[in-house]
Amino acid sequence: MQKKDFELISHTADLQLRVYGITKEELFKNALIGMFQAIKPINSSCTHKNERLICKILPIEHALTITSIDQEVLLVDFLSQALTYSDMYNEAYLGVTIQKLENSSIEALLHGITIDGFEGVEIKAVTYHDLWIKQENNVWVANIVFDI
Amino acid sequence: MFGLQILFSIFESKNMQKITISDLQKIHEYLYEIPKSYRNDMRVPAQIFVNEAMLLEVLTDKSLEQIVNVASLPGIVKAAIAMPDIHQGYGFPIGGVAATDINNGGVISPGGIGYDINCGVRLLVSNINQKEIKPHIEKLATSIFNTIPSGVGRSGKLKVNKEELDRILRFGVEEMIRLGYGIESDQEFCESNGKLIIANPDMVSEQAKKRGSDQIGTLGSGNHFLEIQYVDKIYDEKAARAFNLSEGLVTVMIHCGSRGLGHQVCTDYVKLMINNAKKWNITLPDRELICAPFISKEGQEYYHAMAAASNFAWANRHVIAHWVRNTWQKILGESSYLNLVYDVAHNIGKQETHTINGQDKELLVHRKGATRAFGPHHKEIPQNYQQVGQPVLIPGTMGTASYVLAGNKESMEISFGTSCHGAGRRMSRIKAKQSVKGNELREQLEAKGIIIRCDSQTGLSEEAPVAYKDIDNVVSVIENAKIARRVARLRPLAVIKGD
Repeated sequence: MQKKDFELISHTADLQLRVYGITKEELFKNALIGMFQAIKPINSSCTHKNERLICKILPIEHALTITSIDQEVLLVDFLSQALTYSDMYNEAYLGVTIQKLENSSIEALLHGITIDGFEGVEIKAVTYHDLWIKQENNVWVANIVFDI
Repeated sequence: MFGLQILFSIFESKNMQKITISDLQKIHEYLYEIPKSYRNDMRVPAQIFVNEAMLLEVLTDKSLEQIVNVASLPGIVKAAIAMPDIHQGYGFPIGGVAATDINNGGVISPGGIGYDINCGVRLLVSNINQKEIKPHIEKLATSIFNTIPSGVGRSGKLKVNKEELDRILRFGVEEMIRLGYGIESDQEFCESNGKLIIANPDMVSEQAKKRGSDQIGTLGSGNHFLEIQYVDKIYDEKAARAFNLSEGLVTVMIHCGSRGLGHQVCTDYVKLMINNAKKWNITLPDRELICAPFISKEGQEYYHAMAAASNFAWANRHVIAHWVRNTWQKILGESSYLNLVYDVAHNIGKQETHTINGQDKELLVHRKGATRAFGPHHKEIPQNYQQVGQPVLIPGTMGTASYVLAGNKESMEISFGTSCHGAGRRMSRIKAKQSVKGNELREQLEAKGIIIRCDSQTGLSEEAPVAYKDIDNVVSVIENAKIARRVARLRPLAVIKGD
């Protein structure tokens, strides 16, 4: 039984996230949510529970279609595009509908909120360093290092 | 095609052996080396400028494995070099230097320059001393904090359209002066005059431009800051005179980079190079080291985009300095001023000529968390500094000293004219938060008379002095290794930072 959706792992200079999911779709979703929860978006109409921002509705949507060279690069590209939209539009994405996920391509709809900034660290980029995805005891696990 | 026929294959860095002290050879008290024979894929040795005590700490994270990985880059010459503020990053360690021979298969690696392209430091010196500023310091700190936007993704007051942004990307500080920011002489006191002439805005994506269009004049968050400081000790009178620094004078230090625009440029080109890697037959131990031959189309496109992002970063620090100057005069009067001492980049890649084994070579020098430290009589440093070498600005951590060094002639042979860039982290942000509470740190610093303007208690605890190495040790290694020498020590009076 999967216990966690994501957790922060110690790293000297940067931010390291360990992400879990029963399916690959869930893994990608939890990676997205983990990335944005880690930087603590500020939105006064949402509430906080266990240090996470909980929003009843996520009114903003962005459609994504990404093709990459393999599944690890796909995960980075997926998160990078969400980060780019976040910086461009002052938004945070705490949900995603994944319409199609293959080994090296994804079609998805990001669900988010407008924000007044972040309380947490600034993620500059999603890196390929110590990046891996594997299946352990029927749970998909990914490791991602973010430049902060 | 480029003298290299390489198959792209990735080894997982986790499979690499942990380096131990027995793998290092002591060259002298302040330099250790991991020989080329340590691993089959090393093209040059890895050199680490540290003392013995610091080395033991460096061995606790993956930074030495990372500098060994750097030694495998195609075309790298002499050595992969680590500065005493070395710590684990992604791909390159922070405090890493690598020079590749561009006419002999040398590569350019976006990750070896970093996502925050031309993150750097600007130092200004005032005509007011520490005692004179005391009655105004609270008001000054508050006013600067309210004037300079800081924090994650925080937009600035200056909005530019596409044409204006393209001019800033092309001309950097020169364009900001044309627009009325700063003064004419500022340009001379920026590394590369605050303008890399090879910058090409057409190589910067629309998404990157969109991210940058409202971020000029913003500090950002994390370890970026603005400090009001004073000169508390002079070590080298001649160089201090050249830099206009004397004991007691108040200074302003600004540390920030190219914001979302630079982050996106690096993201775009790392992706481009990963997608095209098969063309170049490159074997790398860490995917984040992805690179392209410097003379390839992709290598050149990145180089020109990186230069544009560098110009953006210089423009960013320039506008911040302009607004600080305005605030300064509003509060301290028309006769007060802030002169630019210097502005240095510490995440950048530059084409430079260096002498290797008696031969001049055209190199692409990657400085990742490392500062240029050219010595006296180098043609690229300002006329006023020709006799003493360029100022090397080494910010400390909150509550501790910062240093102004001067580059030595020897640095060209020792480290491609490169010094450290700061104290260097020794503790993760998670551990820092566990060991120090933001409000307690604020109280401790305020008890020392240091004014803090930062909305986030978490941001404070993550950047606590305990999370960093001792800057005195770091600077001491640089000085003893003859890379640069101490000119002045600066102590903080007020710290202004984002989240």
